[in-house]
Amino acid sequence: MARKSLITGSLALLLFVPQAWASESVQEQRHDLMETAKDAAKAIGGMLKGEQPFDAAVAMESFSTWENVAAKAGDLFPEGSETGYDTEAKETIWTDREGFDVELETFSMAVTNAAMAAPQNVEELKAAAGPVFDACKSCHEGYRVEDQN
Amino acid sequence: MGRSIKWLLAGGLVLAFVFWPLTQPVYLSLADLPDHRADPVNGEQIFIAGGCTSCHGDRLEGGQELKSDFGTFFVPNISPDPDTGIGDWSDLDLVNAMMLGSSPGGLHYYPSFPYTSYTRMKVQDIIDLKAWLDTLEPVDNPVKPHDLGFPWSVRRAVGLWKMLYLEQGPVVPGTGSDPVYERGRYLVEGAGHCGECHTPRGILGGLQDARWLAGGPNPDGEGSVPNITSHKNGLGSWSEADIAYYLESGFTPDFDTVGGSMVKVQEHIAQLPESDRKAIAAYLKSIPALP
Repeated sequence: MARKSLITGSLALLLFVPQAWASESVQEQRHDLMETAKDAAKAIGGMLKGEQPFDAAVAMESFSTWENVAAKAGDLFPEGSETGYDTEAKETIWTDREGFDVELETFSMAVTNAAMAAPQNVEELKAAAGPVFDACKSCHEGYRVEDQN
Repeated sequence: MGRSIKWLLAGGLVLAFVFWPLTQPVYLSLADLPDHRADPVNGEQIFIAGGCTSCHGDRLEGGQELKSDFGTFFVPNISPDPDTGIGDWSDLDLVNAMMLGSSPGGLHYYPSFPYTSYTRMKVQDIIDLKAWLDTLEPVDNPVKPHDLGFPWSVRRAVGLWKMLYLEQGPVVPGTGSDPVYERGRYLVEGAGHCGECHTPRGILGGLQDARWLAGGPNPDGEGSVPNITSHKNGLGSWSEADIAYYLESGFTPDFDTVGGSMVKVQEHIAQLPESDRKAIAAYLKSIPALP
């Protein structure tokens, strides 16, 4: 019996470990990273809209998610990743890399400021998150392909 | 008389006695204007609600190209420059242009200028708007004439088009009693001219009111414009608070960002009072849901 479960366990390892090891494409990585940014924005938006009660800890958690996005996003748009995985990245990222980097830097600074502000109520949260939201919008406007559905 | 000459003569008579009088541009006269002292502060709100700069440019200098199935329209200069803009216009000129699509020089405007929506505005608001426009900087920028193919180049025929599509009444009958809904309707159907993109057009370019705000192909570019009725294909899952928040922040309930030509529209509506965004939301949630 012990032997049987050992064999099953080994088989399971063989099946699943390689998938965990296989590295995700950079397109998938940045997609997933952006999804975390969106979920963080949703948590804050829910409080701003009054759908959720204000919670300072939830706000700080969103800020730290965004800090992670700001730290990693820049490296996830290398040359050669212009297409694939239905990417919504616009070619302007590569034709105007400098402009794209400025947008990322603006986002990064807005996030740092928001975290330092450590909002304690909805009004403060709105003031802190506003520049971050503006940065999202601004970068998407210039460097993301418009969803045509 | 030869047969062809008879036909020519008949054609000429139809042109002179039917087409020509029928397609005469219509005008209001000074006596039709209400006794109203212009309020530029309200005029600025109307200017923002209409999003004039989205097409005419940040300085209203004009010259932008609007490509359509009928040809290329060049957006006119509406800055207060007396020579290349509308600096020498009277209040009445602006009322006639916006509500009847008729130019001071006796010509029809093409409906690329959305007077089909502006015709539902209050005359007082247009007089206020004129007072606000007069405070802005004149920009000397001559704009070239539209480049349209035949038969669209026959401007006079716009008179027939107006008989089909220029209607002053509300698209969706109002409740009359709810001031929030009425305000929303005024903004959406009138100054905000939302239907001009969010409602599909027929082959003559007229809005299909039976499909009011149900979305359709993008009239000026690729892709499509979304359905904003409360059908599940439209804003069905959005609450009124979601709509108002989107117009304020540019974020959808799923926290995607506003895109395309809606960016400028959203940024304008964000400058209006919160009560106006709530009114727009109330109106959109009340109109018939269409797939």
